[in-house]
Amino acid sequence: MTSQENGPMPIVQAQALSKWYGQVIGLNGFALRVIPGITGIVGPNGSGKSTFFKLILGLIKPNAGSISVLGEIPWKNAHLHSSIGFCPDFESLPSDSTGREYLTLIGKLQMMHGTALSKRIQEVVKLVEMDRAIDRKTRGYSKGMKQRMKIAGALLHDPKLLILDEPLSGTDPLVRNDLIDLIKMLNKDHGHDIIVSSHVLFEIERMTHNVALVYRGRAVASGDISEIRNLMDRHPHNIIIEGERVTALAKTLLDQDYVVSVAFNDNKDSLTVQVSKPDDFFNGLPALIDKTQCSVSKMYSLDDNLEAVFRYLVGR
Amino acid sequence: MDLKRVLVGIQALTFFSTKKLLFGSKAVITVLVALFVAAVMVYAGSQSNNPLEDGTNLMDTLILFFFMPVMAMIFGSSLIRDEIDDKSITHVATAPLDRAFSYLGYYLPLGIATAISMVAISTVGWLGFFGQHGVGPDELGIYLEFVALVVIGSFVYSSLFLAISVLFSKPVMFGLFYAFIWEGYIGSLPGAIQNASVKHYLRSLGSEWVKFGDISRWNQASSASSSALVLLGVTIFFLILGTYLFREKELA
Repeated sequence: MTSQENGPMPIVQAQALSKWYGQVIGLNGFALRVIPGITGIVGPNGSGKSTFFKLILGLIKPNAGSISVLGEIPWKNAHLHSSIGFCPDFESLPSDSTGREYLTLIGKLQMMHGTALSKRIQEVVKLVEMDRAIDRKTRGYSKGMKQRMKIAGALLHDPKLLILDEPLSGTDPLVRNDLIDLIKMLNKDHGHDIIVSSHVLFEIERMTHNVALVYRGRAVASGDISEIRNLMDRHPHNIIIEGERVTALAKTLLDQDYVVSVAFNDNKDSLTVQVSKPDDFFNGLPALIDKTQCSVSKMYSLDDNLEAVFRYLVGR
Repeated sequence: MDLKRVLVGIQALTFFSTKKLLFGSKAVITVLVALFVAAVMVYAGSQSNNPLEDGTNLMDTLILFFFMPVMAMIFGSSLIRDEIDDKSITHVATAPLDRAFSYLGYYLPLGIATAISMVAISTVGWLGFFGQHGVGPDELGIYLEFVALVVIGSFVYSSLFLAISVLFSKPVMFGLFYAFIWEGYIGSLPGAIQNASVKHYLRSLGSEWVKFGDISRWNQASSASSSALVLLGVTIFFLILGTYLFREKELA
């Protein structure tokens, strides 16, 4: 669990950590203890998740408080990066390069070379199922392919700790399922400790039950997800689905007992689905898409119900 | 410090960024400048009755005087800044390579790419002018002397513009000011004020080497040895400044 002082040696420990950018507060008295395994960092957009990751990586320095990663202070500690793999939430792939060129650069920066590097590149692209697209320019990749390639880059040097910032963001439901399976496998079969962020609690729940909730720059709760989940289940969950021929999907969704309402947005290619049991919805959606033969290009969850829970947690 | 890791990292960055600068979108600028220089020098060559003097003056004013700082500015003020702005610098900033060495891994490809572009532009211009009049030892000497000057200039200007790109969030604005106002105008004023430009010391070196044209008779030149020392000092100063700024920089 993330909050107890006893138990296994923490991989990340933040104490009274604060970071602000001029007038904007990124983190404010942030305290968190992350133990080995998969830990989910959940919070609305702008809550401080990415700031926390940048502090873990030493990309920025704290204004107050302290942070240690694998027992070391990350700011100006390049050596620590041999033990960390990072998949950012933004597009960081060089667009003029192929996947192989990108991974070769990453590998060489990690002091890998020759046949060992080539072999490792083949291993990781196979693991993330990008082996057939490795020699294509990254600018031609879909969102899901870019996410996979970024994860491959993070995995290449076989780091102890993987930091995945919103890895499911903007991907379609099938890719989402694949990525969730991949993240679980990286922990279970390959032994990587993983810190993964999302603004959707139910996505994180499918990877781990060990969660920290971040809101307005603070870790407002951490621990087993079930308590938080019960709280969230009392708030209907809004999900946007975009794609082609989603009218048939809308009709089918209305027949499901976990769906509260379905409404079209500005056009017939976009739906807002309100669900009472997000778990059932996410598990059942791929079969419904298959059954209705629609094409879903994008799916994302609105923060509004999470905001309500966070407001409750911080007593506002 | 693991020297092998450092060298492998610098080498990887140098190879990657040199390729990006030479074959990326900025290659079009090199081609356009080369075409422009070729057109001007071919026409000037066809009208010249004193090719050694006229050709040298054109190599001096058009290439060394004008395009040298401009090309270094175009390459230098965008390399790190573009990567900071589009966040593609993340893979370098999260590599186990101290940022001081990463900075060197940006400086070397910048100097190399600028030098290759300037040598290509100089070659095209030189061929366009002197190719019409026949190439002998004097013409070849002029070519080699200007190639040496643009290679030295590339590494000096690269250190300056790379530091500017870390220091300012809009380095192109400052780069334009520096390249056109400072180097272009202040650097050509009479009196001691021109000594405050890189161009002055490059031309001073050239005045020692080149035997033709106005540059060979330039009476405000500093000595070759002091010019070489100043250029080396400027390069080292801006490298240290840029390295310090890059190490301290937060990549939010």
